[in-house]
Amino acid sequence: MNLVQLFLAVVMFGSLFSVLTLSLNLQYARGGMINFGTVAYFAAGAYAYAIVTQEPPSGLDQYLVGLHGPWWAGFLAAGVAAMAFAVLTGWPTLRLRGEYLALTTFAFAEMLHSLLVNERRIGNGTVGLANVERPDPGSLGLPDAWTYAGAAFVLMLATALVFRHLLASPYGRAIDAVRDDEGAAEAIGKDIARLRFEVFVISAVPIGFAGALYAMITTLVSPDLFTAEVTFFVWIALVLGGERTILGAVLGTMALVGFQELVRAIPFESVRAAEIAAAGEDIVTGVLFILILRWQPFEAMMKRRRAA
Amino acid sequence: MTRDLLVVDRVVKRFGGLKAVGGDDGLSFAVPEGTFLGLIGPNGAGKSTTFNLISGVLKPDSGAVLLDGVDLAQARASRIAALGLGRTFQTPRAFPSLSVLDNVIVGADNEGERVGMAFSGRWRIRERALREKAAAVLARVGLSDRIGDRVGNLSGGELRMLEVARQLVRDPKILLLDEPTAGVDPSLQVKLSKILVDLHAEGRTLIVVEHNLHFLLRIADRVVVLQNGRLLSQGTPAEIKADERVIAAYLGADHAA
Repeated sequence: MNLVQLFLAVVMFGSLFSVLTLSLNLQYARGGMINFGTVAYFAAGAYAYAIVTQEPPSGLDQYLVGLHGPWWAGFLAAGVAAMAFAVLTGWPTLRLRGEYLALTTFAFAEMLHSLLVNERRIGNGTVGLANVERPDPGSLGLPDAWTYAGAAFVLMLATALVFRHLLASPYGRAIDAVRDDEGAAEAIGKDIARLRFEVFVISAVPIGFAGALYAMITTLVSPDLFTAEVTFFVWIALVLGGERTILGAVLGTMALVGFQELVRAIPFESVRAAEIAAAGEDIVTGVLFILILRWQPFEAMMKRRRAA
Repeated sequence: MTRDLLVVDRVVKRFGGLKAVGGDDGLSFAVPEGTFLGLIGPNGAGKSTTFNLISGVLKPDSGAVLLDGVDLAQARASRIAALGLGRTFQTPRAFPSLSVLDNVIVGADNEGERVGMAFSGRWRIRERALREKAAAVLARVGLSDRIGDRVGNLSGGELRMLEVARQLVRDPKILLLDEPTAGVDPSLQVKLSKILVDLHAEGRTLIVVEHNLHFLLRIADRVVVLQNGRLLSQGTPAEIKADERVIAAYLGADHAA
C-alpha cells in the first residue's frame, strides 16, 4: 500500500466514521444522552440502501425484497430508515437517564443485530447481501477511490455544517439548558421530552446516510460489519477528540482511523505476523485511549486556539 | 373583589404513608390576582412541598390546584410554566454552560427553539429584541456588569437574582420564590425587597416562601402560615404578628401569652 492509498483510506473511512462521531457528539455532549447503540442506526442505513438498490432475489437468495431502485433512492431510504429506527427506539426509552439509557440503546442494537442474523428474509442472514449496487464514477471518468473518499468528506462536512447551524441557534441554547438542569429547564417551560426526542432522531439521520455510503464502499452488508465494536470505536474517537467541539470529534476519529490504517498498511510476511499485529493494534489503541484520557491533548489544543 | 388567580383546593400529598401536606381535610388557600402572599412556617411545615405541588414537580395524591381556572393536576411542570407560572428553587439552579445573558434569554418563550425555525434563520431578528429585554431585566436585578460572565463566577446571592431574572423575562402571571433571601447579603436583600415591592406595585401576583420573617412581614400583603403540612393561620401581616398560635409555632408555647 502506498501513501496515496493510505491517505485515501484515512479520508474515506475517517470522514465516514466522523459522521457517526459528530452525531454522537450532538446526542451526548450537547443532548446529554448516552447512546450505546450507534451501530444500529448505521446498520439500518446500510441495509436500507442495499434492499432498495438490490435486484429482486434469485437462485439461492433468501431475502424477500430487492427493489432494484436507483442509488439516490437507496441513499434517501437509508436516512429514513435510521430516522425510523431512532423514533422506534427513542420513543419508549428517552425517559430513561444516564446508564439506563445506555443499556437500553445497547440492547436495541443487539436486537437488531440478532434480527439481521436470524431473519434471513431481510438480508440473507449471516451471509449478507453481497455485490451491493453503487454508482460507477468510472463512467464519468472519475477514479473510484477518490470519488468515494470525496463523497464521505462531503457528507462529513454537510453533517458538521447542519449540526453547527442548529446548535448556534436558540435551539442549541435550549438543549444545553435541558442537559444542564432538567428541572430548571422545565420551570421555564421547556418541553424536555420533545427536545430530547428531536435531538435523538435528528442525529440518527446522518448516521443512516453514512451507512448507505459504507454499503457503497464495501459493496457488502452483513451482520458481521455491524457489531458493538463499531459503537465502541466511535465512542473512543469521541473521547479522543474531546467532546463538545465539532473539530475535536473529527480529529479524534481521523487520528483513530489513521492509526488503524497505518497498522494495516504494514506489509506482513506471514499470517502469524499479521495476527500479532492485529492484536497489537487493539492493545495500542487501548494504551492510546488511556494516555489521551490522562492528558487530553486535543482539548488543550482547542483551548489554546480559542484563547489565541 | 378580585378573582382568585391560584386556588389550592384540599390538596393532600403523602410521602411513604406520612402526610407531608394536607392534614385531614387537605390544604386549601386561594391567591387573588395582584396579591403578594408570604408563605411561612417552621422547618418541615411543607412550604417547599407546597411549591412543588403547585409548580407540578410533585403531583398531589388528591385535591386540585387551579391556575386561572385551569386544573393543573395532570399537567407537566413545563406545561404549567407555559401557562404562566414562574418559580425559583430553594438552592439556585443556573445553567452552567450558558453565559449570564443566555441564562436569562433561555427563559423567554422562543420560537427559534423549534427545529424548522432554527434552520430558517428567522430567529435572528427575534434574538436581538430578546437580548435587549434580557439585558433590561438583568439591569433591574443589578447584574448589568455580569452580562458576559460565566455563571460559575457569580456569588450565591447573584445566582438567586439571576434565577429571578430568568423568570421575569417570561412575564409570568404568578411568580413563586423559594427562600429568595437565603445566602444573600444584607445589601442585596434590600435590593431584592425593593424589586419584590416594585413587582407587586406593578400588579403582579407573588408567592414567597421565607424563613426571614422580618423581611417578609414588611413587604407581603397577605400571609399563609403552615405547620405540619396544615394551614395554621392566614391573614394580613399585622394579624399574623398578633396571632398567638403563630408565635407559639415559631418561638415555642412559652412565648405565647
